[in-house]
Amino acid sequence: MDVLSLAGEGVRKAIAAGAEGAEAYVISYRTRSVYIEQDVAKVAEEREEAGIGLKVAVGKRVAFTSTSLEGERDVRMAAATAMKAVRMVPEDPDFSGFVAERVTGSVEKAHDAKTANTPVEGLVDMALQLTAASKVRKDISVPKGIFRVQDYDIRVANSVGADGTHRGTLVFLYFTTKSGTKTKAGEGIIKCLGTALDQQDFQAIGKRLGERSIANLEATALREKISGTVVLDPLDLGEMLIQSVGAAVNGEEVQRKRSPWQDKKGQQVASGEVTISDMPRLPAGLASSTVDDEGHPTADRPLVVNGTLHDFVKDHYNAVLLGGRAGNAVRRSVATVEGSYAKPAACSITNLVIEPGTQSLDELIAEVDKGVYVEKFAAPEVNPFSGAFALEVRNATLIHKGRLGRHIKYALLVGNVYDGLKNVVGIGKSLHPSHGFLTAPGCCYLPPMSFKGFELVGQS
Amino acid sequence: MGELSKTALKTFENAGVEFGDYRAEERRSTTARVANERLQALSTVIRKGFSVRAFHKGAWGYSSGTTMTPAKVQEAAESAARIARANSAKKLPRSKLKGIKAVTKSAKPSFKIDPKDIGLDEKTGLAMTVCKAERIDPKIASTFAIYGDWDYSFEVANTAGTNVSWRELRARIGGQAVAAEGAKRDFAYDFHDGTGGYEIVKEVDPNELGAKISKDALELLKAKQAPSGLMTVIADPDISGLLAHEVMGHASEGDEITKRRSFLTDIVGRRVGSPLVTMYDDGTFPGAHGSIPFDNEGTPSHKTNIIDRGVYAGYMQSLETAGTLNAPLTGNGRAENYSRRIWVRMTNTYFAPGNDRYDELIKETKSGLLTHKAISGMEDPVGGGFQAVALMGYLVKNGEVGPAVRGMTLTGKALDILKSVDMASREFELTGGFCGKGEEDYVPVSSGGPYMRCKIIVGGG
Repeated sequence: MDVLSLAGEGVRKAIAAGAEGAEAYVISYRTRSVYIEQDVAKVAEEREEAGIGLKVAVGKRVAFTSTSLEGERDVRMAAATAMKAVRMVPEDPDFSGFVAERVTGSVEKAHDAKTANTPVEGLVDMALQLTAASKVRKDISVPKGIFRVQDYDIRVANSVGADGTHRGTLVFLYFTTKSGTKTKAGEGIIKCLGTALDQQDFQAIGKRLGERSIANLEATALREKISGTVVLDPLDLGEMLIQSVGAAVNGEEVQRKRSPWQDKKGQQVASGEVTISDMPRLPAGLASSTVDDEGHPTADRPLVVNGTLHDFVKDHYNAVLLGGRAGNAVRRSVATVEGSYAKPAACSITNLVIEPGTQSLDELIAEVDKGVYVEKFAAPEVNPFSGAFALEVRNATLIHKGRLGRHIKYALLVGNVYDGLKNVVGIGKSLHPSHGFLTAPGCCYLPPMSFKGFELVGQS
Repeated sequence: MGELSKTALKTFENAGVEFGDYRAEERRSTTARVANERLQALSTVIRKGFSVRAFHKGAWGYSSGTTMTPAKVQEAAESAARIARANSAKKLPRSKLKGIKAVTKSAKPSFKIDPKDIGLDEKTGLAMTVCKAERIDPKIASTFAIYGDWDYSFEVANTAGTNVSWRELRARIGGQAVAAEGAKRDFAYDFHDGTGGYEIVKEVDPNELGAKISKDALELLKAKQAPSGLMTVIADPDISGLLAHEVMGHASEGDEITKRRSFLTDIVGRRVGSPLVTMYDDGTFPGAHGSIPFDNEGTPSHKTNIIDRGVYAGYMQSLETAGTLNAPLTGNGRAENYSRRIWVRMTNTYFAPGNDRYDELIKETKSGLLTHKAISGMEDPVGGGFQAVALMGYLVKNGEVGPAVRGMTLTGKALDILKSVDMASREFELTGGFCGKGEEDYVPVSSGGPYMRCKIIVGGG
């Protein structure tokens, strides 16, 4: 059975059951995972799944249903369930129908055949290679590592003629190291994402992981309060920006009056050096696709240009309400596509890209008279409405007169992302991918960045 | 036993692996989201599939699928056995699965009203009422409410003779309001949930719930930044629950002990908190969001004493960690769904109530901070560090609750915090949620406790 053909079948069955319009999203995916525990490949997996998400409309009434797919019977059942639901919901006066576009083509390097065809035994070898590389010192172990590869196919079709497909691969690595003794331990954590195994340098990742646990072990509690320049590593900064900027530029949040940037179009929201775009056609981008998850063609979109707010991302519903172009309806996370059929498409960023600067990380640090370089927070959480944060640092190093000094812990970095964006003092030149919570759609490609105005608070 | 589970177990027997199991699930859920008094999405989900796993000489192989036929199950079981055998050739340290007792039982959920007997219009209408009730002031910029119910059916069978089946029912009603004034913008939320039927949400007054959410959001607009530094904190049940769950709970998961990743490794019998601190993980807690009749390995759920009057008592276990640590099973082998692996996971994790009254905690606090609701928390099993974010709080001065302060981060070493507990209230609450292991594998849980007075480092954001 060609699973993707069930998208068209879903639309036909919904119309036959009485829907005036219908949209179907079908995804089929394979997952291979390896779990490292205490330096050995403890668990290995091969999994496969397919599912359909079906949206139906009768007049201005809309309902969504989804099911895992075994065959055509599930599609019939989904159509019947959706039709039962749509008769019981209130009208949405703003519902404006479905997208009528046919999309072809693919994004370069969104899919990697070699990655898709790597067996789980091959992943075990790579995971063990990374584990071995982390042992830069005898006392280092890898208590936990997750290494996952997915390859997937998507088809979106609807009753007004939209029909698009997308094929992709995802690589996800989350490893931790432990160093030290029974009474004093240090932990290193690293997370890497990509669309191809060849993008990952397992030796370099392992070495960095080992070094992080040593730095954490050697770190001492910060007692004082430091106001200076803060250099942030892309991985956690990306998560902070997805939660704040990702929400502030989201057309749904604007339309619902939740975005702090809802009335700021044309105004300065960041330093002049800051340019931010949503780039769904980024080659090898984690969230790249020529078609969005409701069948609209995607296009790159500048959001903040030289510090000035230029546009918001919109799905079809919000594009009709706010004006402008759609193309940002998203269902899948960039860390795993698992279960994405069970979510209705929602307005979201895809690949949020911060335009790189010209400096290396070393050059950014060299420019700092007094400050801190933070590689990892306990959890980089930001209040999306106010931008406020107070984050416990896990891997951080003080900077004094352009040089890295002692490693610190037990300190909170306190500040506000929206204020911080207006106080950017340095932008690195290399882009790194970062994603938010596992199930959240979209991701951020960004370099390391330096900020003024944040405060590092010790235990005193 | 069904045909599919028999096929899986026979395949494992033929493959000569040490142990194998089969689990099948069917998950049905309904969610209605209402935003700004308009239905944003009504979705119904059906997700069904199976997972098989084989254990051989210290290695696990998993395989899963959604095509529930004997041929596909056999193919998956062969794949799981092949993976386990291939990995075991790498000479892993031997972990044990000894003494697994066969359990044969089926369990029915306890409920008054089956959610499937309630129309989607009523469920949507309930969320709409909460959403409308949030609109209490022109400063409420955005309203949101959500209704959800979950109906899960499980079957687990293994080569040791276990054959169990059960059904879990959960329901939830909640909302979130954003208040704005000039450039100021903040949010508040609340929800009610648990295991059981539609009665869980029917017992909630939707108008009261919506108004309460917006009242908090409006109060946050006027709130000042919280002070920073080490101070006396009266942790509300949400925050004391996060301390129980995020630090002490995650670090008490048996797999973190066998990996020696937990700061609580080899700590049984040692003092970790003041005598006022007693902590449990209890999968049998009636009606709580994290309650389960069996874990995903087929072990009946259990009430596990983790801290007894300040002294560390024991860990939570799966089949493998219990065998390796020679400890009793506790029913904590859980998986997010059939396409995810099993880990040692919590259920309902909480500090037991104390003997003080809430009013006495306030009255006897000269200067401190009372927290009000949590936004998030993060685990740190290696370092034993606590990080939680509170939605808001109130300054406490000379025995009286004073002005509100904005959301803040609470941090410090967990054992330092627990040793500083000098009062704990009789008032006790559990709050439901979903817990991940690291960044993935979300399972329904709850956490909670009494109001606890202790010393915590506060960072006002």
